[in-house]
Amino acid sequence: MRASATETFPRAFTILVTATAVLAPLSLIFYQSLLNAPFFDAQKAAGLDAYRFIFADSDFWTAFRNSFVIAALMTAIAVPLGGLLAFVMERTDLAGRRWIEPLLLVPSFVSPMVLSFGYVVAAGPVGFYTVWARELFGGAPWGIYSILGMAVIAGLTHVPNVYVYASAALKNLGSDVEEAARVSGASPFRVAASVSLPLIMPSLLFSAVLVFFLGFELFGLPLVLGDPEGILVLSTYLYKLTNKLGTPSYHLMAAVAVCIVAVTFPLVLLQRHLLKNSRKYASIRGKAGRLKELPLGPWKWLALGIIGLWIFVAVLVPLSGIALRAFVTNWGEGVRLADVLTLEHFRDIAEEPTMMRGIWNTILVGVVGGLLTVACYTAIGFATHRRNDGWSRFVDYLVLVPRAVPGLLIGLAFLWVFLFFPPLTPLRSTLFSVWLAYSVVWLAYGMRLISSSLLQVSPELEEAARSVGAKRGRVSRDVTLPLIRYGLLGSWLLVFMIFEREYSTAVYLLAPGTEVIGAQLVSLWQGGAIDLVAALSLINVILVGIGLGIALRFGVRLRD
Amino acid sequence: MKNILAASAAALAAGIAFAQPVPQGYPADYAQTIAGAAKEGKVVVYSALDTKAAQPLIRDFNALYPNVKVEYNDMNSTELYNRFIAEQASGQGGADVMWSSAMDLQVKLVDEGHAMTYNSPESPKLPKWAVYKNSAWGTTYEPAVFIYNKRLVTGNEIPQDHASFVKVVNANLDKFKGKVTTYDIEKSGVGFMFVVQDTKYFPGMDDLIKTFGKAQYKVYSSTGNMLEKTSSGEHLLGYNVLGSYALVRAKKDPGLGVVLPKDYTLVLSRVMFIGKKAQHPNAAKLWTDYILSQRGQKMIGSDVELFAVREDVDAEYTAAKLTKQLGDTVKPIPVNAEITQYLDQKKRLDFLGHWKSTMQAGK
Repeated sequence: MRASATETFPRAFTILVTATAVLAPLSLIFYQSLLNAPFFDAQKAAGLDAYRFIFADSDFWTAFRNSFVIAALMTAIAVPLGGLLAFVMERTDLAGRRWIEPLLLVPSFVSPMVLSFGYVVAAGPVGFYTVWARELFGGAPWGIYSILGMAVIAGLTHVPNVYVYASAALKNLGSDVEEAARVSGASPFRVAASVSLPLIMPSLLFSAVLVFFLGFELFGLPLVLGDPEGILVLSTYLYKLTNKLGTPSYHLMAAVAVCIVAVTFPLVLLQRHLLKNSRKYASIRGKAGRLKELPLGPWKWLALGIIGLWIFVAVLVPLSGIALRAFVTNWGEGVRLADVLTLEHFRDIAEEPTMMRGIWNTILVGVVGGLLTVACYTAIGFATHRRNDGWSRFVDYLVLVPRAVPGLLIGLAFLWVFLFFPPLTPLRSTLFSVWLAYSVVWLAYGMRLISSSLLQVSPELEEAARSVGAKRGRVSRDVTLPLIRYGLLGSWLLVFMIFEREYSTAVYLLAPGTEVIGAQLVSLWQGGAIDLVAALSLINVILVGIGLGIALRFGVRLRD
Repeated sequence: MKNILAASAAALAAGIAFAQPVPQGYPADYAQTIAGAAKEGKVVVYSALDTKAAQPLIRDFNALYPNVKVEYNDMNSTELYNRFIAEQASGQGGADVMWSSAMDLQVKLVDEGHAMTYNSPESPKLPKWAVYKNSAWGTTYEPAVFIYNKRLVTGNEIPQDHASFVKVVNANLDKFKGKVTTYDIEKSGVGFMFVVQDTKYFPGMDDLIKTFGKAQYKVYSSTGNMLEKTSSGEHLLGYNVLGSYALVRAKKDPGLGVVLPKDYTLVLSRVMFIGKKAQHPNAAKLWTDYILSQRGQKMIGSDVELFAVREDVDAEYTAAKLTKQLGDTVKPIPVNAEITQYLDQKKRLDFLGHWKSTMQAGK
């Protein structure tokens, strides 16, 4: 009896803590949406006023429609392109794939705030590239401050999300069918379009749902590119409500968040369903003894062209824009670059204690926080590993929930938790609050990393240990954990990069002591300190770059 | 030997703490405030002015009162308000001093009883309109200005007053289409406050709003964005921009021009008050008095590059100089209950609704 208590206690504890961390802030949001004033206001009353207000507000519906259009368009761009890139990278003999692949994944590790800002300074109406294009060709026929512009940028920068799933599925596919098509005279692209990509349809569908749903949550991009034009999407509409009535309208913001969740959570569930199905698909694959690469022949120029163009637009343009803006005092039409070069912005950052603290905190939350986070995720992983009971299913769904809520609002909910839940109040102005919010927001992503490591340990090893009498805890500690340690190290690196990149979650948690670059960027952008935004963005990119470099050096797989 | 040294150092330090002189003209019992502040050791300031800009004030205050550390937190004015009321509700005191450009929100907090009543010895030196209920003080004198891109807007295309702003844009609609900018009044409390004041002084306001619609104006929640984009040429004209920031940038940035409107110039004054539940009340008084003092105001008018509100201060940026330049066309927004009327939800939404429909009508 006692043995079973010591066995179940750690598991029950882990599940309880996880459930509290996820559900407390979310139920607070839900509760807030049913009030007519901030929940801590003495004059609050329950009711559906908040929903009535937003449903009567034409801006809400415009924002909803824009979100939908952008999400749909970016899916339409990202899925075919991601699938095609995956085909070229996985199935053909294109040269240089080894060093192209990391480049393909770069956009998913750069903060959307940084990317968007990069597009403004690079390709905005008077961006570097726009001005150069005008000087060279007499015109620059692109407008990034439009729904279409945002959708294209979002689509291109979300290609990696499709690419990782499509390429993983293609890896599992035998090449015999493709060869059959080639022998019958189909061109490589015909093979891709008619044979390979249809075969991995479940994965493509899965990533389509993913991209669509990410599109619904876009924040940084529409904040930077859409706001000046008055183009609202749901998350920026929510942000706007902070001030629309002059005083904070938490109930309205919470109501919008609940509406967003009403759209995204079914998508998350659909995704889960599709993932299960795609695994089923993968298990009935043909047993191809070897994977033969498809010779591209002259088509390789087209393939290289597509890849090159995409890398140029999605990676080089924004990042070079940031890099350039960080070193100039001002820019625009009629400004000569050589006249305005400066290192002043970096000096300003070095002299500004809060900025330096922000940089330091960002590193800290990524390195130390990332390690702790991986430890927590691992504990949760063990709590469900190889147990097919109701609790495991509960945790499976639980970890998906935060993914459906915009990070901005989770951050706000955590601020409330830290303000009004007495045991946590002393920790409010510490980095712990940011770390906890980050860990909850990225739970779904992290758990995928951990469980894919766990699944690589084949059950007979654990069973062997159990059969000689080891208890579950002992098996986990002495068998499973040592076996997955490299997987965990890799997860640590990925979590580090994700934490460096995160921005919206910490916006409302920003206080002295909790500064992180991501939130500072939003705040500085709102405040209009563009010089500092550029310099800080560049520093952020460099931090992520260091993580990426280490990951590549040690051969960490950059995806789950 | 060591002990003696240490003891004498401690005595010296104590001596400094106690010997801190009461500023000239202050009541004698101010010594207690100073001693109390030294005991409290710090003052927590929540401010909408960013830390970098406030640095000279903090340094100077520390030179004056080395025993009082300044914990300075900058955030935007809405965030400031949100955080303050949440902290008050949760019973966790945060701010000792609130300092914000959202004048209306500050006055609202005072009216709701969140401010400490304090007879500041500096109060009598301020203009009457800048003192509210002996609890809140206007500390700066920041004009709302027009900005323009100097490379691309020249001669009589530079608007000199509100009427000519309308005229210039309408006369050169092709040039200015998509290139006029102002605050997003749904997002920026300051921007909203300015246009509410505009309706008081400028009869052609509806024409202006229509012109904004016609010119497909671009809106931002912050001053910096407007300055950046006007300087770069992405926009050409900016309306109602906070002049304190604009003038500072214009000094360094050859691309940016600033106009103080000739018919009338609105003036915003950053409002400061001490929290009723301040945990460091003496230190808060010290800080507030310092900001209102001649020394603090001089710093505001020079190194901080906002405008000093006190008339008796000589610095680069002062209310006195602005008044001399513009005469009685300067219209400071008074620190009083009138400015909070648009915090009423219905009134505010009606105003926003009127703005939107008028703007659409212009399109």
